[in-house]
Amino acid sequence: MPPKRKNDAIIQAEDVGMEVDATLDSGSEDEARRRSKNRRAKAQRKKKQVSDDEDDEEDEDEAPRKRGRRKRTKPQDSDQDDEEDKRRVRQKGAKASRRKAANEERDEESEEDQGKRKKGGRAASKQEKEDQNKEKKGNVKGKDETNKGSEKDKKKKNGKQSSSPVSSSEDESDEESMSEGEIAALKEQVEEKKKLIATLRNKPWRMQRRLVLLKEAQEFVEKFEGALGKGRGKKLYAFKVMMTKKLIKFNRDFENFKTACIPWERKIKEVESHFGSSVASYFIFLRWMYGLNLILFGFMFGLVVLPEVLMGLPYGSIPRKTVPRSEQDTAMDFSVLFDFGGYCKYSILFYGYYNNERTIGVLKFRLPLSYLLTGVGIFGYSLMVVIRTMARNANEGGDGGDEGEFTFSWKMFTSWDYLIGNPETADNKYASITTSFKESIVDEKENQKDENIHLRRFLRILANIMILCCLGGSGYLIYFVVKRSQDFAKMDPASLTWFQKNEVEFVMSLLGLVCPPLFETIAELEDYHPRIALKWQLGRIFALFLGNLYTFLFALFDEVNAKLETEQELKNATEWAIHEYNANYSSYYNTTDVPPLVVNPADAVRGPCWETAVGIEFVKLIVSDMQVTFLTILIGDFGRAITVRFLNYCWCWDLEAGIPSYAEFDISGNVLGLIFNQGMIWMGAFYAPGLVGLNVLRLLTSMYFQCWAVMACNVPHERVFKASRSNNFYMGLLLLVLFLSLLPVVYTIMTLPPSFDCGPFSGQDRMYDVVMETITQDLPAFMGTIFTYATNPGLIMPAVLLMVLAIYYLNTVSKGYQQANLDLKKKMKMARDEEKNRRNNKDSTNQVMKDLEDLLPNKSLIPPPTEEELPHDIIIEKGSRSTKMKPGSAGKGVNLQKEVSLAAPNPRRPVAHPPRARGGPPGHLRGPLPGPGRGRGRGAPPRT
Amino acid sequence: MGSRASRLLREEEIEEIKKETGFSHSQITRLYSRFTSLDKGENGTLSREDFQRIPELAINPLGDRIINAFFPEGEDQVNFRGFMRTLAHFRPIEDNEKNKNTSATEPLNSRTNKLLFAFRLYDLDRDDKISRDELLQVLRMMVGVNISDEQLGSIADRTIQEADTNGDSCISFNEFIKVLEKVDVEQKMSIRFLH
Repeated sequence: MPPKRKNDAIIQAEDVGMEVDATLDSGSEDEARRRSKNRRAKAQRKKKQVSDDEDDEEDEDEAPRKRGRRKRTKPQDSDQDDEEDKRRVRQKGAKASRRKAANEERDEESEEDQGKRKKGGRAASKQEKEDQNKEKKGNVKGKDETNKGSEKDKKKKNGKQSSSPVSSSEDESDEESMSEGEIAALKEQVEEKKKLIATLRNKPWRMQRRLVLLKEAQEFVEKFEGALGKGRGKKLYAFKVMMTKKLIKFNRDFENFKTACIPWERKIKEVESHFGSSVASYFIFLRWMYGLNLILFGFMFGLVVLPEVLMGLPYGSIPRKTVPRSEQDTAMDFSVLFDFGGYCKYSILFYGYYNNERTIGVLKFRLPLSYLLTGVGIFGYSLMVVIRTMARNANEGGDGGDEGEFTFSWKMFTSWDYLIGNPETADNKYASITTSFKESIVDEKENQKDENIHLRRFLRILANIMILCCLGGSGYLIYFVVKRSQDFAKMDPASLTWFQKNEVEFVMSLLGLVCPPLFETIAELEDYHPRIALKWQLGRIFALFLGNLYTFLFALFDEVNAKLETEQELKNATEWAIHEYNANYSSYYNTTDVPPLVVNPADAVRGPCWETAVGIEFVKLIVSDMQVTFLTILIGDFGRAITVRFLNYCWCWDLEAGIPSYAEFDISGNVLGLIFNQGMIWMGAFYAPGLVGLNVLRLLTSMYFQCWAVMACNVPHERVFKASRSNNFYMGLLLLVLFLSLLPVVYTIMTLPPSFDCGPFSGQDRMYDVVMETITQDLPAFMGTIFTYATNPGLIMPAVLLMVLAIYYLNTVSKGYQQANLDLKKKMKMARDEEKNRRNNKDSTNQVMKDLEDLLPNKSLIPPPTEEELPHDIIIEKGSRSTKMKPGSAGKGVNLQKEVSLAAPNPRRPVAHPPRARGGPPGHLRGPLPGPGRGRGRGAPPRT
Repeated sequence: MGSRASRLLREEEIEEIKKETGFSHSQITRLYSRFTSLDKGENGTLSREDFQRIPELAINPLGDRIINAFFPEGEDQVNFRGFMRTLAHFRPIEDNEKNKNTSATEPLNSRTNKLLFAFRLYDLDRDDKISRDELLQVLRMMVGVNISDEQLGSIADRTIQEADTNGDSCISFNEFIKVLEKVDVEQKMSIRFLH
């Protein structure tokens, strides 16, 4: 409410402004200002107690002349006898002068106080209702005006505090004239500010304060000059206003745009409204995964694939980039390509294609190094992102179950979004309200369920045993199949059937297909709440997949080891052959200058290249997984839905409501499918850089496909339950999978020798030797030394210790924060209770708060209020003005006030005199003017 | 005044409305043009049909209740003054108004008045109590036929059970306030009127 306040002040100033200088003859301007400020402050305090003043204040603005009469009829001035009045006046005057002196000492006060004081000034000035005082009052006000600028700025800064107590005294009458008044006030202030800037140099203030004031004043003038339509600020101001508006609008649009840019948000919302938050949580997870993969793809593509394509040797230039002669006939066959043999195998999709040249192209791009760092970096980045997301989700808290007391009432009263204007959205909202009610019903039923605990426990144990058996069985089955497939692999591929070649994938997909429903059926025995049941289900399928994955991996390692052996033999044979060739050549031509052996790249002898083989395994797995997923949806969901829908016309029972019915969306299976798929990607990406790109495509299609399928062929779960949008359980599983998939890759990088004739690391003993090589050859020598030291166990051990300590410390800190959180929650609850009380008893509590605010900064300085008063003739007029300011009036104020506030007497004290000033108010150094301004001489620092 | 078919708003009317509702001058004129554009009958008042033409209200399951809230009891026309009075419930509470506690009458956009407005939406028979039947009717509007009657009944029962403190199987306004205590009504029941 600052504008209104200004307004009042301005009106007063306009009334009497011309007289300002006339009465100031004996004192410097700032002196007067100080005094006036002081007086205002006191008045302000008084005003709070003497609530009647508020009325007066408003009156004054409108009809200054009437005030006098009215005022005197007020109870606190009820002594209508002129004599008595005069006597009082004198007393007050004396007190006021003492107070003034005190204030001069305490000039450094908080800005809020100043703001209030200023306001109070008006209240005070009202009190000088006597006709003979009128002019003087005017002067004082005029002086106020000079000061106002700076004060106003301060007010603006701490707008709320200062304005809150003041605004409470405002009346509706002010509001009416606000706009014009405001402008007038602003004008006045700007003038004041300008004046202040001009005269600042002469003021006896401290430099610091001057600078502050100057800055404030300049800012103010800058800011508001334009608003008044004059000065050079006008155009700028108009421009600024326009720009602000434009900016606001732009921000709003931008927010909308950002929302619109969230991919698939509408689709997901639609699914959510029909199927509940649990199904939506899968799609949100899918979307998140898509984003992650897009970034991984960016890394892989930008740092590995693209450089190789652009700068590396072309296809056919060296053996590793050429399809061998024996395979060339079938290299373009679909069946071969579909198994990622032939041209696929010798393409940038796989590890083997990459050359081991240290640098390629004009950029001297270190491809092998980049390959290794990207492979490791993908893990690093994924870990970081997953953990960060988890941490962020943890803040949001809650696993979806809501714990409020008024669940149903809130749903009932607050669920509709009244801003919905689109019929389609309305339909969705309609559905989502229904769904959310259903969710609540499920939660509610769960709470009310009472059960036979022993039977339940027994059933749960039984279920777990059965599931463990299933898991063990499936694990063994996979191990068996993988062993068998190794035998098959040694046989001639032509003699194998399609089934024999794809046995592993087939069995794994089959298990993935059969086991989850089996688990779900078994889980019926347990009868958990669906949300908990989902977690169990997820955990079990996770174990199944994990078992599968690891059996698969171990089998793969067997294969790799076998390949490594053959490779070793081949390598020896090749070396021997080259040696023989050299020997033969030199003996035949009798020269030591042997030209290198020229062999067509297609005919070159090559090793089995186990990395590419591993890559192909992963790619095949991903592809078959994708096929199975899509086929399941197509047949299991779509086919079933079609059958149920159309056969229902000619069937003997109701298919839609009866046995086959429509499918429900399988959250757990889909989520885990996604998680394990991602695990494969992480593991396989190192051996098949193209895998990430493939996965991006897969996720993209499955997003659309599944969204369509779920809307078209599925029905909502019978028991729709609530899941949080940010499901940390999924993330936890993902993290686990990430960690598990990290292990084999790191193991191969650190321990297995790379193939000698394919891939970016060929020729090295270990893959990480690339890094060593770079360090020794390309970095300055001291870096190498640093690395040597850094890898010294003597350094690593302390580092590990340090990390453990750091973890311990952080853990402790987080516990501490948790505790603090709990405490804060308690406090908030208490605050809420208080708030409630306050609402019941608004004004009085506010009063207390206000007074406390006043009290705090000056508390220590408060001398006890003194009741003895020394009448001084010299300051009679002034005293009469300060009727309400004296400390003695505290008692009076209490009577008059509507609410007696605890701190009421206190705030007046800081303004009260300090002991020393009492002695000689008239002859005081800084108060040579026994005039009106005296009692208020405070605010500006007198001791410059 | 509202019955005047005049296209223009007189200054003093604006002043009155400003005083009553707290809207600014330009907001009032802007809303007046909106009012006249809604007013198909061009008689200075809005009928229920006029409101039903607003798409947001048409698709809102509680739209009828909201429209009802615009009309004083027993009338089926609302003039601009009444229109503004209802809209004033949705005026955001400004910062400087929050601290204002001395004025005699509570502004229309106070928390209590906002809540009262919401309460009236559910209080179909205007007896200052939300009974089980009223809840059921509203629920029926909100969820249609997707949930069985039995379940709806239990929802209504639960709602009353949660909110009812004095055991009269109805939700009074005080209980309603209590329920929505933690909801940020001041913010949620506010519309950004253009200035």
